[in-house]
Amino acid sequence: MSTLNTLLLGFISIVLINNLVFTKFLGICPYLGVSGRIDMAFGMGMAVTFVVTLSGTLTWLIDHLILMRMGLEVTRYVCFILVIAGAVQLVEMYVRKFFPSLYESFGIFLPLITTNCAILGLCLFIHLWGIDNLPEAVVLSFGAGIGFTMAICIMAGIRENLNLADVPECLKGAPITLITAGLLTLAFMGFAGMIR
Amino acid sequence: MNYLELWNSAWPAGLTMLGLGSGFSVVLLIASVKLKVEVDPKIEQIQQALPNLNCGACGFAGCAQYAKGVSENPELLGRCAPGGPETTAKIAGILNLQISDSGPAERPIVHCRAQTADKTYYAKYQGIATCTAANALANVQACKFGCLGFGDCTLACRFDALDIIDGLATVDYAKCTGCGACSRTCPRNLIEMVPFSQDNMMTVACSSKEAGKSTRGMCKVGCIGCGICAKKSEQFTVEDNLARLAYEKYERTEETEAAFNKCPTGVIIYVGKSAPKPRVLAKKAAIANNKE
Repeated sequence: MSTLNTLLLGFISIVLINNLVFTKFLGICPYLGVSGRIDMAFGMGMAVTFVVTLSGTLTWLIDHLILMRMGLEVTRYVCFILVIAGAVQLVEMYVRKFFPSLYESFGIFLPLITTNCAILGLCLFIHLWGIDNLPEAVVLSFGAGIGFTMAICIMAGIRENLNLADVPECLKGAPITLITAGLLTLAFMGFAGMIR
Repeated sequence: MNYLELWNSAWPAGLTMLGLGSGFSVVLLIASVKLKVEVDPKIEQIQQALPNLNCGACGFAGCAQYAKGVSENPELLGRCAPGGPETTAKIAGILNLQISDSGPAERPIVHCRAQTADKTYYAKYQGIATCTAANALANVQACKFGCLGFGDCTLACRFDALDIIDGLATVDYAKCTGCGACSRTCPRNLIEMVPFSQDNMMTVACSSKEAGKSTRGMCKVGCIGCGICAKKSEQFTVEDNLARLAYEKYERTEETEAAFNKCPTGVIIYVGKSAPKPRVLAKKAAIANNKE
């Protein structure tokens, strides 16, 4: 029961309280770049969720089974990036095969998941937080992806409505988007301290 | 630290990376075989044959979409106006199709020749400087059919082939690719896409359907619908006080030449590459002489 409790709390924590986008400011590039339309944002979120779950799990395994046992912590960054790049390649092939229209609308952002700092960030956080069992690592990785999807979908929803709003000329485009991002972050700051 | 120690600490790292790398490459290799997407090489070839100007004359968003469309449906062949017959022939070659001659390429003709000095104005227009805005105002200029000269067509043209010269849209036929963007933009529908069977074409450069007297009062170079051209050549027809050429069967004959020479207002002109100059009317010539 206590294991389940830890997992559930970890999941809620990474989705709401330690959301990578809102509190760590990671993954801002796709967060602002692909949040124009809600269907594309959701697709992007799903792709990131898949990649982050896969790479979070794999990097935990590699970290604990190979790197730490052999005293090779120094190669952690390189290995993690290798895992992420491989996972992104896999996703890209999958999306191209089964969702060609999504593939076209993603454009450059799909291969750019490789350099999405939220993913490498999470893999390193898992080590930093001292997560020492596999289920927790998997749940945290999955939660990080869900958190990212939630953030980007909220943003896309706001931006879709923002298109109809009467925005002052000097704030049109990027400025109002950044202001919105800031306000969203402030709102999510309200969750801070909910789980100790 | 000597070199042996360095080597001893370095090789496990290298070996681990090598192992991981080859592990992933095997997984990706399997995935690339399992998830292979067959891309029709013809689409790529067609896209290379297209001008890649993305002008949209074909009705698709861009050249890539047209390439895909035409490869699936050969009926869409020949939609590429900037590429012209050469591109169509290339695409047909790639798709293994035979094409029949699709006729001469279309080029725009501006059916107005009134420059600022020829027109009559009731008042000075100071509103938004676009044709669409000006056209909403009834009295922006006396002639309700003629060119407004604010240059919506020059903005629509992606090839810099249109200029406003003395208040009149003028086509540079050397630059024009015949995409038809100007024709779709003009709020007064002055610009007609015409199959250019020759380098330069004769045309009645007026759109005024007012009665002859009224047209003459408003414009020095308008068509008054007198019908002299129709009497001289069967290729001309007069309808609603306005003469028109039948372009489908246009042919330069002595008769059309006679119509050109007898037109009392000189509204019949040549347009196109190396077009002959408009006829100088006797009256105008006299005035010009007096000025000198």
